[in-house]
Formats: sequence, C-alpha cells, structure tokens
Amino acid sequence: MSDAPNGPWFTSLPPCETLVPCGQGRHSVRWEAGELRLASHADPGAELVLAALGGDTARCVEIAEAWQRHTADLTVLGIGPRGPADEIAVSWDDVDAAGQAARGGGAGGPWHGAPRLASPPRAAMARAAVRHTHHQREAGEASRRRLDMLSLLALGTGFQIRLAGQVVAAHADRLDEPDEHGSSIRPALKAALAGRVALVAEQWLGIDPDQVEVSLYRGAGWGSAELTGRGEQRRLRVSLPAWWLARVWASGLALTGRHLVVAVERAGWPDAQVLALRAPGAEPVSLSAHAVTHPSGAAHAPHWEI
Amino acid sequence: MDREGAETYLRLLAEAAMRGSLTPATARPVPNASTIMAAWHALTAVGALDPVTAEEILTDFRLAVTVRQLHREPAGQGVTAAEWLTQGRGVLRPRQAPARSPGEGWPGEDADHGRAGRFVPVGLTVPFRAGTVSGELCLMSFAQTGSGARFIAAWQVHSPSLEVQLSHHYPGLIPIDEFTVTDDRGARYQLDLTPGSDLAWPNMIRLSPAPPETIRWLDVAPPYRQAVRVDLCSGEPAPAGGEARVSVSDTKLSPGEHLLVMLAERLLTGTPEFPRQVVSGGFGVIIAALEAAGVLSPLSPVPARLATLCASLDLTGHGIAAPPTLDLPEPWLSLLAHYQRRKPEPTQMREGYVALAASLPELDGIRVNLLGLQHTQGGSVLHVLVQGRIPEPRPGPLDIDLNFPLSLWLRDSGGRWHAARPDRCHEAGRERAIRLRLVPPLTRPADSVEVLAGGRSAEVRATLPLRWRYLS
Repeated sequence: MSDAPNGPWFTSLPPCETLVPCGQGRHSVRWEAGELRLASHADPGAELVLAALGGDTARCVEIAEAWQRHTADLTVLGIGPRGPADEIAVSWDDVDAAGQAARGGGAGGPWHGAPRLASPPRAAMARAAVRHTHHQREAGEASRRRLDMLSLLALGTGFQIRLAGQVVAAHADRLDEPDEHGSSIRPALKAALAGRVALVAEQWLGIDPDQVEVSLYRGAGWGSAELTGRGEQRRLRVSLPAWWLARVWASGLALTGRHLVVAVERAGWPDAQVLALRAPGAEPVSLSAHAVTHPSGAAHAPHWEI
Repeated sequence: MDREGAETYLRLLAEAAMRGSLTPATARPVPNASTIMAAWHALTAVGALDPVTAEEILTDFRLAVTVRQLHREPAGQGVTAAEWLTQGRGVLRPRQAPARSPGEGWPGEDADHGRAGRFVPVGLTVPFRAGTVSGELCLMSFAQTGSGARFIAAWQVHSPSLEVQLSHHYPGLIPIDEFTVTDDRGARYQLDLTPGSDLAWPNMIRLSPAPPETIRWLDVAPPYRQAVRVDLCSGEPAPAGGEARVSVSDTKLSPGEHLLVMLAERLLTGTPEFPRQVVSGGFGVIIAALEAAGVLSPLSPVPARLATLCASLDLTGHGIAAPPTLDLPEPWLSLLAHYQRRKPEPTQMREGYVALAASLPELDGIRVNLLGLQHTQGGSVLHVLVQGRIPEPRPGPLDIDLNFPLSLWLRDSGGRWHAARPDRCHEAGRERAIRLRLVPPLTRPADSVEVLAGGRSAEVRATLPLRWRYLS
C-alpha cells in the first residue's frame, strides 16, 4: 500500500535543504525522495567507523544517525508540528547548549545530596549502586533521545514535517502490530491524526477544533466526514486512514482550494490528482492540484492550488 | 476494560491541551497538565493504563509545549534548551502490567493470602514513670500476623515541660526502651516504635523478635514497676450487648463507580482543605476518562451523585455533565447535614479508647481487621490492619489515598455517620497498618457503632458493642 497505486508516500513532496554548522563550516543537509543526504560527507559509514576508533563524529553524520533512529518513533508525532503554521524554532545554539548541559550531567538525581552513613551496610550500598547505575543509564538514554529530537527539530519545519510523514509511513500498514514494548500503536496514531485534522478543519469550516471528533479509518476507500448538531453540540466527525497523515497532510495537501483533501489519486510534484470534499457530507470530487510557491515564501512548505 | 480506549483518551486530552497552549488567548477552558494528571491517576488507579505509558504521554506533552517556548518573550515565560532537556522524566523503563483495580486478582497470588493471624482485644492500662515523665500505656489490642506481632496502643504522657503540655509533642518522651516484655515461656522481647510506627504515630508497637504464635500471655512491665499480664487466649470479654453482628450484601460497583465513590468521600472528608482549582473541571475529565476506558457506564447513577455533592459543597466548575440527583447514600447525607449545621455540636467525649479485635469479612480480596478506636485531642481515630489484595502504592486522582481502597463509615448510637479517612499508613509485606481519622469526630461515647465497609463487589455491615476506657 505504501508504494501503490500512486508511488511512495513522499511522491508529492519536493526536496528540502538546510545548512548545518559542521566542523569549521556549514554543510548542506538535504531530504529528497524519502532519504536524508549529506552533500559534504561522501561516506558517512566510514566516518562512523573512525569515530568509533576515537575520532569526533561530524554533526551532519550525527544528524543522519538521529534521523534513522527516529524514523519510526511515534514521539515525533507528539512533539513535532501540527501544521505549517506551528513553527518550532530551535537554533543550533540551542542544540549546543543542550548538548553541554547533557554532558555536564546536570544537578540532582538520586546520588546528589544523599545522606552518607558512617558505615553503610554493604548490601544496601550494592543495591544503591545498582539503582544508581540503572538510573544513570536511563537518564543517559533519555538525554540522548531528547538531544536527537532537538537536533532534528533544528533542521526546520520542512524536515520536521517530512520526518512525521516517515514515522506514519513506518506504521500505517501495521496498525495491529504492537510497538517494541508490546503496546498498541493505534492510540498514538489516532491522537496524531486528531490533532492535525482538528486544525485543518478549523481552517476549512471555522469550527472549534475541540468539536472535531476523529477516528482511524480502516476500510476500503477514503473514510467519511459529517457535520452534526448546532452551537455547542456541533460536531464534525471525520474518519480517515493513518496514511492520510503521510500522503496528504505531510505533503501540504490537506486543505487545497478550500477543499478538504481526503486522498491522493495520483501523486506527483508539482502536479497531483486528489480526492477532495467541498463540504462535510458531500461526495468527494477528483481535482487536479498544482504546487506553487508558498505565499509566505517558505520553501519548505508546499502550497497547492486547484 | 478498554485499555486502548483509556490510552487514546489520555493522548487526545494531551492533544487538546497542547492545542490550548498554542492559543493562550482562548476564552474557553482548555485542559492543562493538571487535567491530564487527574485523568492519568484515575486511569492508572482502575488499572486501565500502565503508569509508564501515562508518564510517557505527560512527558511528551510537556516536551511539546516547552519546545515551543524556546526564545519566547518575555523571558520569564520561555525556557532554555537545557531546561527543555530536563522536562519530565526520561521514560525508558520497561512497561509494567497495569495496576490491579481492587478486587482484581493476579495469577500466583501470594501464598500467605487467607492466613489472617491472631487478633486479641486487650483493654489494659500500664502506668509508667521514667524520671520526670509519667503516664499510661493503654493497650487496645494485640495483632500477630506473618509480618510480626504488635500492640495497638494509646499513650498518655505527663511532663512538667510546658512545651509538651501545650503542644502534645510527647512521643519523643515515651520511654519505650525501658519497658520489658516476657512471655509464658520466659522469652523476653523488646518494644519498638519503628518500623511499625513513627514518632508522630506511636500507636503501633512491635514486639521484637516476633514471638511464637502459640504463646498464651505476655507480661508487659514498665520501668521499675510490676508487670501487667496480657492474656492472649481469652482476650477481653465482650461488653454487654454481646458479640459483633455482621451482614454482607452485594453491591457490584464497576471499577469506575468505585473510584468515584472514593473521590466523593475524599471530598466529604476533606472539604475545608480541598484545593478548589484542582476540582475545577477535574471530575468531568475523570468521568469521561473512565467511560472511555469502559469502566464506567454512561448510565451509572454515581456521576449525578457526585454532581449533587459538588453543588452541596459549593464546588463549582466540576465539569460533570450529569444533572444532580436527590438519591444520595445515607452516610453522605449525614455528613452534608453536619457541614450545614451552623453551630458546632457540643462534645461529651473524654479522651479514651476502645479495645477492638474484629475482622470483617473479605471485601474484594481485602480483609480489614479493626484493632482499636481512640478519641484524643478532639479527634477520633480507628486503627485497622488491612490484609490481602491491597493495591500497589500509587497516586490517586485529586489526592485520594489508594492505600485503603475501601469505603469505611461508622454510625454512632445517635444515628450520625462518621467517614473513616486514611491518615497514616505503614506497609509491611502484604499488610498495611492504617490509622483512619473519623470525620466528623465522635461527640458521644457511643456504646455501640455500626461499621459500614464498602468495596466494589459487596458491602459489609457490622454492629460492634463498645466499652470505653478513659485516660487519667
């Protein structure tokens, strides 16, 4: 389903590029066709081997590694942008500051300020040491994950949205498979879908996002959308497949020409054929969409017109 | 139980809170971290969500909100990248099985389960003097279980120190080390306030080492005085009025209803100090979360009762959609009437205690042993030892105490109900010794009380005859 019937999920997404401080200069990091490419590092694998032998890892290579680590991480959907207007501004100075704080270890933790006994019992000391080691390992991994996330956010909105698309694509066909902890992935995907559809619906109909109820659609076709009630009882009930997040939302197609795009019939850049709703409850119509320069001039955000 | 529904609800709530944080000027109430915490605690309390997942959701929410505050002006509202890194906890621990809700068993249940122990009412006073400090050790009962033996006791301490007289800070003055205890075979024991107790709760006195279960009596000797013999075979004879009368009836509350009842009782017993901003909207969210988790029926009458309670206690903004109802349980009505009484009721209680050793039938796999009733310093407390399938310690929504997942009420002989609210708790193995504070305190030395203990599956009513003993 990811590649059929109209190409991979990112077929309607243009490449995206940014400059990253790396070594003494600034290097280009580019996302294209679902992959991160490092123009200034011909063989990142070899650089990693050298780093393992004691050398420094180039920031570009660290970013590529972090990207790989998080292409199926549902946390990305919880932290990342809900739409092009939801800009998360993280600078490389922020990443450096956080990296220094992480290396410094910070204050606190159970080891700091613990009262010392005159002659602590050995068993208790051993247990405390195990707890301390466990805590340090947990804290170290959590810190690395957050540094990863901060670096990926620093790449800018275009990369953030593309990473979200990649995460959804990793899971969208496996809704019944548990995550690495054995838990269902559906709650996280449903919340990610709901958060993004609600904001699109607000733009589409002027409805309060809290009045939008979203469910994960798993049948044939695109899903459903209906508007019921009035005033405070007004509800927009939308059911869309998880793929919508990758193919439609991440590609910037969600609201095109005052239509809610519910599916991509023929993916492509800069021209695509989409299935869209003019109003809730209406039959979807097939529309030709054409990508143009975003009104804000932002290169990362594809803007489509009918 | 719909665990996926529970997680989805919490994630959607976090998403709504996140959206609210992006538009701070909004006029309508939006969920926030406190609201998420209330739903989290409710869902973990009923066992619909494991705490690690709940913590992950809250941590991700905080990270999402604060990363958008980097560089925000004015400076006080922003965060630095280093601060962002330390938001919440690093949640990398393996996930745990969700908590059991009360009454829900686990495979491989503890082999000790079903082994109750030995509970003996005592009702003896041991006068003591140590230097300038004198007083009485009042032994209410003796309890011996798999986790040890202890007396449940009350102390009366007299000291020339003005500070002690004014503040009742006497526990540090108790000469516990100078008491000696000997059994019928000549074995000697020490009395110990810890770890079964602490200085602010000198009611649980352990015997160390634990005596054999077959001993017939213990001689408790204060410093330089004659010992007082505690007969562990016959115990204190029942007062006039006879033995305790006990009845059990089915209730069949859902886990969600049971939690709401506990919340209602928390409100009833803690009204003066209850943080109203926490109440605001919290109940509505908790009810919605419980419904999403499939542990509360939309047709349940309990939310409407909770709405009535909030209205009666003047708690607005509770967020409960159900309209209030007149159908409130009798104990709730009694306590509401107490709050609405303008003049405090004159008390006829002297400081004293009742020796008790009554075990209630199991409720939801939990056995409650009543081990003493005490009235001191204007307050009344009930001492209990809880055994069986007690839940793991974890925070409850709106600060309710999940150490004691039962509802417990006393009705005095005047027909007034008193809620028993956990005040102190000590855990030892599969047991918890709990001091329950009665709200409101007793005002008359009743010669009997009706105890009403409610769980999810059943409720127990027991009428206990009381014989009060007074401190000098």
